[in-house]
Amino acid sequence: MMPKTKPSIMTANLLRSGEVVYLGANDTWVRKIESATVAQNEDELAALEEAAKQAFEAQLVVDVYAMDVEVENGKTKALSVREIIRAAHGPSV
Amino acid sequence: MYRYDEFDQAFVEERCHQFRSQVERRLKGEISEDQFKPLRLQNGLYLQLHAYMMRIAIPYGVLSVRQLRKLAEIARRFDRGFGHFTTRQNIQYNWIKLEQAPDILDELASVGMHAIQTSGNCIRNTTCDPYAGVAIDEIEDPRVWGEIIRQWSTIHPEFLFLPRKFKIALTGAAEDRAAILFHDIGIRIIKGDGNETGFAVYVGGGQGRTPVVGSLIRPFLQKKQLLSYLEAIMRVYNLHGRRDNIYKARIKILVKALGIEEFTSQVEEEWQKLDKPSIDLPTKEYQRIAKYFEPIALKPAPIEDEQVAARRASDTKFNSFMRNNVRAHKVPGYVSVAIALKEPGKIPGDASADQMDAVADLSERYGHNEIRVTYTQNLVLPNIALGDLLKVYDGLVAARLASANFELITDIIACPGLDYCNLANARAIPIAQDIARRFGALEKAQHIGPLRLNISGCINACGHHHAGNIGILGVDKKGTEHYQITLGGSPGDDASVGSILGPSFPAEELPQAIETVVSTYLSLRENEKETFLSTYRRVGKEPFKHALYDSEPSNSNGLSDALEKV
Repeated sequence: MMPKTKPSIMTANLLRSGEVVYLGANDTWVRKIESATVAQNEDELAALEEAAKQAFEAQLVVDVYAMDVEVENGKTKALSVREIIRAAHGPSV
Repeated sequence: MYRYDEFDQAFVEERCHQFRSQVERRLKGEISEDQFKPLRLQNGLYLQLHAYMMRIAIPYGVLSVRQLRKLAEIARRFDRGFGHFTTRQNIQYNWIKLEQAPDILDELASVGMHAIQTSGNCIRNTTCDPYAGVAIDEIEDPRVWGEIIRQWSTIHPEFLFLPRKFKIALTGAAEDRAAILFHDIGIRIIKGDGNETGFAVYVGGGQGRTPVVGSLIRPFLQKKQLLSYLEAIMRVYNLHGRRDNIYKARIKILVKALGIEEFTSQVEEEWQKLDKPSIDLPTKEYQRIAKYFEPIALKPAPIEDEQVAARRASDTKFNSFMRNNVRAHKVPGYVSVAIALKEPGKIPGDASADQMDAVADLSERYGHNEIRVTYTQNLVLPNIALGDLLKVYDGLVAARLASANFELITDIIACPGLDYCNLANARAIPIAQDIARRFGALEKAQHIGPLRLNISGCINACGHHHAGNIGILGVDKKGTEHYQITLGGSPGDDASVGSILGPSFPAEELPQAIETVVSTYLSLRENEKETFLSTYRRVGKEPFKHALYDSEPSNSNGLSDALEKV
């Protein structure tokens, strides 16, 4: 069995607009964190990272990275203050 | 004020054209992100938390009506209807799209503005006293030199790839209102022998991770030698500044490592080697630029106005506005009016497009076409006839720009923080809003007196918290936002770095802690005239430490008690 990691997702900013996006189903980039594809183990994360890398090389996204999440009642949530603010797509004020 | 000649205009348009091509090539993948990033930064475009942020240069803080109207238009067309004035007298837009950036730069170029060198490891916007040219304590107008330094530093081929960013500030008055001692180079116009004026030059000041007050490198420099002397400083820094560690790359680190005497001697040695005539500004060129800054022909008038006096007596808000926001002008019968972008509860330093237009309209009608930006994130109308003051005031009231809290505790200087900025560890804006609401009543703020309160969301200190009488630094403590308090900083002639008081406070406890600090000051001050800073310098940090860390938590009545006496 593959070693378990914290559930994680890929995030980035769209190159053209700078908008915050998450890697979702079928390698599309989505605005809502709830629609992000969650990797449960290292293999799954590696697959997401590969897809994200291709999107970066295709001039679609920049500043790509993996981030930890928690999944509560089937809903994906950001963990840190920074990521909560990013997921809200705007300031907390 | 300065107007672009055909060379300036051609240069800016060429730069727009160049950047447009760079953006196109980036979008097509012809240049990589690594190649593009330094180019984008040197045109003021950051990638922040939610979008790109564009920082537009407002050279030495001076704007024309036409330019301010264009900034309002850009806010409407390309952003979300507002802009943020910064601690370096620039303006930032938070919601920019990369694909629109070339169009924005074209719009800016049409009014003689740009975003060149507002980011990156180069010489940034040179900042200046917001009362330059009008202050009653002025020795000589520093704006001329601001423009000269701007032209000299813009795409100077030798200084576009410095070890790190470089910031210059200048002042030409008895009082330093440009915080020159906290800059990489600070320049003060001073009187020399006879009628001659010259420069006192300071070097190695700064904030960030290693705050330090600048050191005097040259007590008197002849004005005509400014550019060659600056080049000597830049060349020594460029050669010996560290490039191995971005946290040790500013000139302040080099000055500290060598010591000011050794650093000075290296600069003087470098200076002797330079071909000064090829660098220093010819007198004719100086005169050409200086002409743009000749004083406006204002007719002196009585310094008292019956209607103003009557309004002061009948309108307490206007009376406070007069007391806190209005400053005497070198021409009798005129005043300078500070517009505090600090309505308690609003975002410090932000102005809506409508508000920008309102200020532009007032400046056009009554203000001789000029507006200034302060490094405290406020605006100034420098030239208002006393006879027009009431009309200006009523115009500001209508635009919700008449907060009479200039330089008071609610005139908070705050960086955008974690709500917008990629570098931040904690939010600054909600903290600023909470504190401002607690002290929001003008009588309260006036009773406390002049007080600089600065908030930075991270150690980069864009909120200048080290120079705050009360400084607040946001930190990340095991994933939660905490805030450290410093006391006793000062940005002016008596420059000092604030001292950390003790362990940080979680966000929900911080505003109360600030109330405790203020109530401690009120209980200790000798009289109403002793400012917070003076009291702190007299009593030291112990009473404040004791009040915050040793006392029972129910000290929360302290502030209300102290203010009941108001």
